[in-house]
Amino acid sequence: MSHPKQPREASRQGASRREFLKVLGAAGATTAAVGCSSDRVEKLIPYVNHPDNTVPGVSNYYATTCRECSAACGIVAEVRDGRAIKLEGNPAHPLNRGALCARGQAALQGLYNPDRYRGPMMRANSDAALEPVTWEVALAALQQLLGTARQSGEAARALFINGHESGSFPVLLDSWLQSNGMPAHLPYDALIDHATVAVNRQAYGVAWPSLRFQNARLIVSIGADFLDTWGATVPQQLDFAEARSRLRDAPRLVYVGSRRSLTGLNADEWIDCRPGSELAIVNALAGAAGSSIESAAEQAGVPVDSMQRLARDLRAATPSMILSGVTTVNAFEVGSAVAALNQSLGNVGRTILPGEPISGFDAAAPVEMVNAVDRMREGQISMLFLRNVNPLFTLPAALEAADAIRRVPFKVSFSSYPDETTELCDLVQPDHHPLESWGDAQVVPNIVGLQQPTMEPVFPTRSTADLLLELGRASGDAQFSAPSYRSWLMERFPGGEAAFAEALQTGLTTGSVGGAGAARPLPAQTRPAPVPLESQTGDFFLHIYPSAVLGDRGANKPWLQELPDPVSKICWQSWIEIHPSAAERLDVVSGDLLTVQSAAGSVTAPAYVYPGVRADTLAMMFGQGHRRASSGEPRAVAGYPEGTVLEGYGRYSAGVGVNPLDVSPAAFDPQSGAFAWTAVKVGVTRAGGHRALVTTEGSARQHGRGIARAMPVSALGQPVDHGGHHFPGDASHEPLPGLRSPLAADAQGAIASGVEHKEKDMYDPEHWSGMANRRWAMTIDLAKCTGCSACVTACYAENNVPTVGAPYQTKRIGMDAIPGGNVAQGREMSWIRLERYYEGDVTTSNFEARVVPMLCQHCGNAPCEPVCPVYATYHAPDGLNVQVYNRCVGTRYCSNNCPYKVRYFNWFGYGEPARPQYAWPEPLNWQLNPDVTVRGKGVMEKCTFCVQRIREAENRAALDGRELEPDEFTVACAQACPSRAIVFGDAADQRWTVAGQVHDERAYHVFEELNTFTAVVYLQKVNHPGEGQPAIEGAGNGAGH
Amino acid sequence: MTNRRKWAVVPGLFALAATAIVLSAYSGASTPQGRAPTQPIPFPHNVHVKTVGLNCLYCHFTADKSPDAGLPAVSTCMGCHLSVGPTRPDGSQRVGIDTLQAYWNRNEPIPWVRIHKVPDYVQFPHMRHVNAGVTCQSCHGQIQDMGAPVHQAESLNMGWCVKCHIGESNPPFRARYDCAVCHY
Repeated sequence: MSHPKQPREASRQGASRREFLKVLGAAGATTAAVGCSSDRVEKLIPYVNHPDNTVPGVSNYYATTCRECSAACGIVAEVRDGRAIKLEGNPAHPLNRGALCARGQAALQGLYNPDRYRGPMMRANSDAALEPVTWEVALAALQQLLGTARQSGEAARALFINGHESGSFPVLLDSWLQSNGMPAHLPYDALIDHATVAVNRQAYGVAWPSLRFQNARLIVSIGADFLDTWGATVPQQLDFAEARSRLRDAPRLVYVGSRRSLTGLNADEWIDCRPGSELAIVNALAGAAGSSIESAAEQAGVPVDSMQRLARDLRAATPSMILSGVTTVNAFEVGSAVAALNQSLGNVGRTILPGEPISGFDAAAPVEMVNAVDRMREGQISMLFLRNVNPLFTLPAALEAADAIRRVPFKVSFSSYPDETTELCDLVQPDHHPLESWGDAQVVPNIVGLQQPTMEPVFPTRSTADLLLELGRASGDAQFSAPSYRSWLMERFPGGEAAFAEALQTGLTTGSVGGAGAARPLPAQTRPAPVPLESQTGDFFLHIYPSAVLGDRGANKPWLQELPDPVSKICWQSWIEIHPSAAERLDVVSGDLLTVQSAAGSVTAPAYVYPGVRADTLAMMFGQGHRRASSGEPRAVAGYPEGTVLEGYGRYSAGVGVNPLDVSPAAFDPQSGAFAWTAVKVGVTRAGGHRALVTTEGSARQHGRGIARAMPVSALGQPVDHGGHHFPGDASHEPLPGLRSPLAADAQGAIASGVEHKEKDMYDPEHWSGMANRRWAMTIDLAKCTGCSACVTACYAENNVPTVGAPYQTKRIGMDAIPGGNVAQGREMSWIRLERYYEGDVTTSNFEARVVPMLCQHCGNAPCEPVCPVYATYHAPDGLNVQVYNRCVGTRYCSNNCPYKVRYFNWFGYGEPARPQYAWPEPLNWQLNPDVTVRGKGVMEKCTFCVQRIREAENRAALDGRELEPDEFTVACAQACPSRAIVFGDAADQRWTVAGQVHDERAYHVFEELNTFTAVVYLQKVNHPGEGQPAIEGAGNGAGH
Repeated sequence: MTNRRKWAVVPGLFALAATAIVLSAYSGASTPQGRAPTQPIPFPHNVHVKTVGLNCLYCHFTADKSPDAGLPAVSTCMGCHLSVGPTRPDGSQRVGIDTLQAYWNRNEPIPWVRIHKVPDYVQFPHMRHVNAGVTCQSCHGQIQDMGAPVHQAESLNMGWCVKCHIGESNPPFRARYDCAVCHY
């Protein structure tokens, strides 16, 4: 260039760049027109007979019951044009009161799982593989078997294992079994804390008392992960968050255990006791004879002063609440001591309410499963029926259950999905999914939750209940004369038909069904007594815990696979948690492969250096490690589309992680029959090699950025003193200015008045659209947020966010199918994520964890907007930062310029059915929300503040000829939140809840110093440090460094 | 850089501009305006609307309450055509009704070919438009005069939408026209 560019020329240059892009755009359109002809024939298919009460394009809502765990929360299924598209909590339900956890929401991906059985399967002979057969053939085979069994007397040696559920089905099942001369069924649920159930039965006479966290002034959790999987997690979380939101009167939470679970991370103090030492701690706290705080502290390997503080607090704070959820072989003993302590402290009836029990936890003791497996091995079982259970996955490998099951001459499964145990069966008669079937659940003793079909069955499966009735009718038994399970239920429904009709609307009725209430007697145990932990040799204790996001059956659902573990932030993988000091001693960094070995076996997984586990303990998550019986390419089955995996637990779990139960001995608590998850000391060796962790975490520290902020409870109401320093994120002016926006001043109307705005307005401030007084905004209360991540799954469900981590989505030329491969490269699409940060010294147990949900902040002055060359992101007059997919050309400048890193780029066409990376193989795509565009390849996307819900509410209001009502609707994350931490609404209208909350004394904006004027306002977490507890550095009002 | 070389780029620019014009013209022609695909039944809107006097909402029964206008169920057609049609003497007028009854007897829906379609990234709520008083004809042309087959009267492209939203093509009506009103 001979001369420097003149400014004017530069601007011309800019204009011509736009022109150039215009040309490109035109070319693109042309290609599209040629590539997929606009004459493409698309059909509009009407109904033959229009069903009543449905309007095409408008959702219907069906109240039903969640069956993903034994708690049986109430759900409302949104059904559009005959397809269930979203699950939300039922607001009228006494347990979950409108909230729903990630696992419950993901039931939809069970319903639409592409690896579901699409009809019955049968084995021609014992060597043959399972092949599809017709229902006639399958039923005839079962009928013949039952006939023979009845005649030969073999029926008495049959065994039916049913996934534990409360309600009427177990009653029907037992009467059917009885009429066939078979013993009563075995209700099994691997995740119920049976030791606690047994303690509760003995101490209070009920299986599970209500826990009233709100009444407590101090909560001590001894390994009871009430925010993870222990008990009825959603109601517990609702109540706990409510208690914490009282700020000054909130209970302090002390967590006693060898590993900080999600519950542990929410605690104000962690007493990192040695596994197996819990009894000594409880005895010392109770002042039992022969115990002392000092000796207990020594035995537990914890500082004496923290134990003394706990003992002192327990005396001072009444009422308190002590929960035991230990999983060692003496769990019952610990639980009994805790129950006695609660009794003596006067907590029973105040924080622990046996008078308001929760039904649903009366399953068989896990040791009964062991006895059943022993009987199979000895050939005492003539036929085995399995429904909703997968014992091969949930029982330790040391039991060698597979061999035992193989010895049963005939095995029938009613499983909807392929799994390890079903793979061994001779006949598979797939049941409907709970969202397709009738049923009921005993929620609390006098309330029944109704389960009703939300849609026509996806596949030609058949309801097991209907099947039992049909078989019963065929054998001429009059008690099975009901034509269907629905009418059988209706006949017995408490309150009769009227109550049934009402329950169809609300999902609930008063009364009780089923035979719940009586404790099952514990069978005689034939197994050798387990070896106590303290007398074992080995380098590390092994603490195994059920995954809070996967549970025992979540691994075949991509939403749950892709949901980062709330503690480790790892997904699509198994990991071994190891303390930093132990890692240093072994010269291990995160990702190095470790082999954990015990007498029972060994597993190899990458290490994850985690400060929340004791230095002498390793921790592993249970929930991954499903396996197929065969290796190599999955067997193609006739009638199933390509890519179907009818082995193991389906395509999404294949090759993902390991099962820690492979190293676990089959140890059971002799008094309760509960499985001891923490029962072994293991050796650990470096396996050699390194596998990158599939983590969504950037840094575990805030590096002074003030993203997740907290204040001690004593600072509430105090003027903020920065000592002359300005911390990033501190509100520097009064009142909070963030909801004003100089760029789009019209958007905020009144609240923006007085703020000078620049010439570059995109809108006319006097715009006639009437939107000038709206400012959609959100508050997130970090004092309530526990980090459970239910909001994340709600967002995936609502906004058609693709999962990208399935192995098949990684498969490209020169690249293998790696679980989570795309996530490891930072290509996850999660519009909202939970960031987890540590404060304080993580080499000690005295560190604090903070979680902060991070989503598009809908900045009033958004850094992403001015850098977009094609005006694909802009500020709407109602305050939304909008991403226009059809304008976006994928430069990614916006993402580069976003300080919050909440914009996600669609790299591989996850939304395009023709591409191998397609995220919703049929029929998973049936779940897609028709109100939200499925984004294609090369397009940037991000949180929209659920603009489709805003529009829907506006449309509804317009139809009724009225204005929007305050708090009339909310966004998906806020709706699901079991902490009720998220509030959404119009900050420009004082009648909305959010408008009041943004002026809370705890309110702050993340990165306020960037003048982004965000619409998301966080309320600081409130810490409750114990008296004399060493201060946690950075845990105050400022940002930690 | 010499003047000569500077001028040498001009033909190139012309060529680029020409290509751009051709391409944009071509892309403009890509709207399916005027398309009139053959339907499984030669349904005459004019007979039903003008001769029989049916209101649009009789068949498109959710146009005023749902984003979807709604298609009549086969049973809706048969509500009249159980009696209207079968008594007619054999002839061309019966062809469609025979086909309709065949679908009904087979308990099958009629696979209508879609004519009016906006792309997937556009949300078009019928009820907002209908309740605001936008006539069916504004988007669907003089549908009451159309025999079989129906054709797409308007281009349905974005400029056409926006003209109305800004109050240009249809002055009494104007509505928000920022992107997120329709694109999300």
